[in-house]
Amino acid sequence: MKKLIAITFALPVMGTLACTKSEPPPPTPAPITVPATTLPAPLSVTTVTLGTSIGADKRVAAPTETFGAKDTIYSSVETAGAGHAKLRAHWSFVKGEKTAKVDDTTIEFDAAGPTVNEFHISKPSGWPKGDYKVEIFLGDGETPAATRSFKVS
Amino acid sequence: MTIGQDGKNDDDMPDFSDVRSGASSTAPGAEVVQTYEVKSGDSLSKIAKNFYGNGNAWKRIYEANTDILKDPNKIYPGQKLKIPPKA
Repeated sequence: MKKLIAITFALPVMGTLACTKSEPPPPTPAPITVPATTLPAPLSVTTVTLGTSIGADKRVAAPTETFGAKDTIYSSVETAGAGHAKLRAHWSFVKGEKTAKVDDTTIEFDAAGPTVNEFHISKPSGWPKGDYKVEIFLGDGETPAATRSFKVS
Repeated sequence: MTIGQDGKNDDDMPDFSDVRSGASSTAPGAEVVQTYEVKSGDSLSKIAKNFYGNGNAWKRIYEANTDILKDPNKIYPGQKLKIPPKA
């Protein structure tokens, strides 16, 4: 009787072992590819161009650094990188070592990639002849990221 | 008379008080904010008239500058005001 009980219990176990042994090994999971984490490049000013008109892409069509008294003066500013951007254009009249503020305009945006921005100034009564400059500041920095000088003649 | 950046009289420098300006960007949702440095004799309604063509729009300028302005009738030369875009 004891022998019969032993066989009764042993057979299913042996069967299970036999079945397990004959099953193919589970497929090896494919290695998980984790994309390399790349931090977006910090924002930077790449190009500043002056002219009297811009296209739909905000770029200056015909760059110049000499303007007439009745011109609207455009400054096209291109940036690279991503993140929150605060671009400030500070326009000045330069006479010797003195400067007089002409205008100060800031534009803020969230850049997902390269951007093109334009700042423009006009003066209905006409620009006084002389030397001018536009300084482009990025963020709250006090050092301009770019400076362009121009003349009104 | 022209007031220089340092707030002092600068009679030999031209007057740029009628300069018009603007900006735009290819970035969606870009917000343009002009700044204006208060000159002697300015008032918010005078500044609003200059930027918007409507002196009654002074509230827009006041509301954009409540961090530095406590009373719309008290502005001082040298203060830098944010000028919101024209509505």
